[in-house]
Formats: sequence, C-alpha cells, structure tokens
Amino acid sequence: MTSLTVTINGRVHGPHDARDDLTMNDFLREYLGMTGAKFGCGAAQCLSCAIIIDNPDGTSYTSPTCIVPATSFDGKSIRTVEGHAKDGELTPLQKAFIDHFAFQCGYCTAGFLNEGQVLLERLATTPIARADLEKTIAEALDGHLCRCTGYVKYHEAVRDVILADPSRYLQSS
Amino acid sequence: MKIDVRILLFLIAATVPAAALTAEAVSNTTSGSLASVESFASIGDQQTRSAAYFTELGKVLTHPRCLNCHPAGDRPRQGDTARLHQPPVFRGVDGFGLPALRCPICHQAANFGAVPGNPIWHLAPREMAWEGKTLGQICTQIKDPAQNGGRSLETLVEHIGEDHLVGWAWAPGPGREPAPGTQKQAGALVAAWVQTGAACPKP
Repeated sequence: MTSLTVTINGRVHGPHDARDDLTMNDFLREYLGMTGAKFGCGAAQCLSCAIIIDNPDGTSYTSPTCIVPATSFDGKSIRTVEGHAKDGELTPLQKAFIDHFAFQCGYCTAGFLNEGQVLLERLATTPIARADLEKTIAEALDGHLCRCTGYVKYHEAVRDVILADPSRYLQSS
Repeated sequence: MKIDVRILLFLIAATVPAAALTAEAVSNTTSGSLASVESFASIGDQQTRSAAYFTELGKVLTHPRCLNCHPAGDRPRQGDTARLHQPPVFRGVDGFGLPALRCPICHQAANFGAVPGNPIWHLAPREMAWEGKTLGQICTQIKDPAQNGGRSLETLVEHIGEDHLVGWAWAPGPGREPAPGTQKQAGALVAAWVQTGAACPKP
C-alpha cells in the first residue's frame, strides 16, 4: 500500500491508502465514483481512459489511466471530463462537440475532449501557422480510437473552436 | 610422403579438439544463455577470438528486448515477435515520442503489470538503428562514436554492462523473454571484445 494524494479538478483527494497494483482508472471509477474516464481496451490503445495532467509550469498533457498505477499520480494535479464545465456552463470545445454531433455512443468522447482541450491550451501559448492547423489537430487526436468512426466530426469540432478565435490560437499572417 | 601424412594427421588431431571446444563454447549455449569469456580461450588468434566475443554478444544485441527500441524507422516494436508498437507511437524529436503521446506517460519508472518501465524509457537515436542489419554491420556501427551516442569503446563496456535501461532487457516483466544470459555476462563479453581489439564478424 502507498499513500496517494491527488488533486482532481481543483479538489484535493486523499491521502488514500492505494494498492500498488491499482490502476488510476480503477481508482477514479471504483474508489471515487468518477466514471467520466472510461475503461476501453485496458491496454492504452484506445485512450478512452485519458485524463489531463497539469504540470506546475502551466503546461499540460494527457495520460491514459488504464495501465498506469494510481500511485504514480501522487502529488499531481489532474483534470477529468467532469471538471471541464464551470457552474453548468459548457466549454467552447464541449459546445462544438455537441454542435458537430461529434460522437455517437460517447464512449470515447471524454478522451477526445481532454486531448482537444490540451491542444487548445497549447496553441493559446504557442500559436501555429494556419497552414499547419489540419496536421496539428490530426497529430493531437491521433491515437484516440472511436469505434463509431466519428473522427472527422471530432476534427472539425476542434478546428471550429480554433478558427472562431484565430488571434488566440494562430499566428498572425 | 609418409611423414607428410603423419604430420597432417598430427595437425588434424591437434586442431580438431580445439575447434570442437570453440564450437562447443558457443553451441552449448541455448538461446537463453551466453557463453562465458573463458570458454573462448581455446581460440588462439586474437582477432578471431575478438570477433567471436562479439558474435556471442550479438545474441543480446539482436534480441527483441534490445532490437525493438533500436528500430530502423520511427516506430518502436514490441513483444517477442517484434510487432509494431500499439498504440501507434512515433519517435518524436528527442526519441521520447510525439507531444501527444510521450513514452513515459505509459512507461513508468518500473514495470507495471504488462507494461514495461524504466525512468528514461525511450527510443535509441535513429543513427543507432540495428533493425535489419547484420551482426558485422552492427559491430562496425557500434564502434563509431557518430553512431553509438558518442561513446568510446571503454564507455561502451559500461553502457552495456551497467546501464539501468539496458539492464531492463534482463528483467522485462511478465510476458516477455529476457535477453540471453545476464547483464554482467554481456558486460564481460564487451570488455573482452574491446581488450582483444574490438574485431568485427564478417558483414
């Protein structure tokens, strides 16, 4: 057993006694009842279990949770899909997903949403050229599997959010 | 003429056991083991012995535990069958993957379940690719500082014999065959190879 304290969506959870073989996905879903991060392949191949890890320097990245020990998150700050909306107000990306009907069964949506959100935040600090936008979105979402094949809609939703505020995400031409 | 035949028979009698011993040193080792440095003592010619050391070390270098992360392309391989890594990860600019899916995100500091781990899990640089090469080519490559991470032969001994990430190959966790022998044995073979002139097997 290892002590685990993790900040999730701005709230500190713990300390908990966590088994060393406990995955983060099981910790979120079974111990905390946070079922937004899904359990799909169990092998980090579909990334429906992905959450956001926030670094102290302000940068963020996504991580699968199905194959990663919960104890490796000790002391870290993470975001799950439950933490995106504030006071019932959806984020622009969540709204874009709905507008594009960028999901059918919804099982992969949380992973795509987290990945898209990280991309938006990265571009807000490091804008890219418009010419690189399609490739950048594709590379960011690559690795996330959607068994309903909603890839184009996810891609378009992310692109719409970026193009709706180009001065924030894109280099001035 | 009779004398010549006697001499010939003597030479055969003298050399066959030595050759047999040499062959035995290598052939007696299974795919999961390495011949000891001492077992090559019967090879009189130093250059031949040096190349033989490297040939034995080749069992490690060409094993999937090593080769999978020394790929010819930008995607690592995985498993004992050396299939392409799933999920589809790529080398990235620093060998630690693309920004969206970095190696250490899944590969923790230690093995966890079926996922292998090490604190610096990453791909070997492109110039250190071994996949698809003969042992002779790998040997030439591994001696070249431009293709071995800037290492001298002496630091190569330390790298193979003591490096923690290299050492993972002998403790790969469940579902994966360890590299042959032990890291200590591999290190001894490298050291012996260097001390005898670092000769390479024929390409």
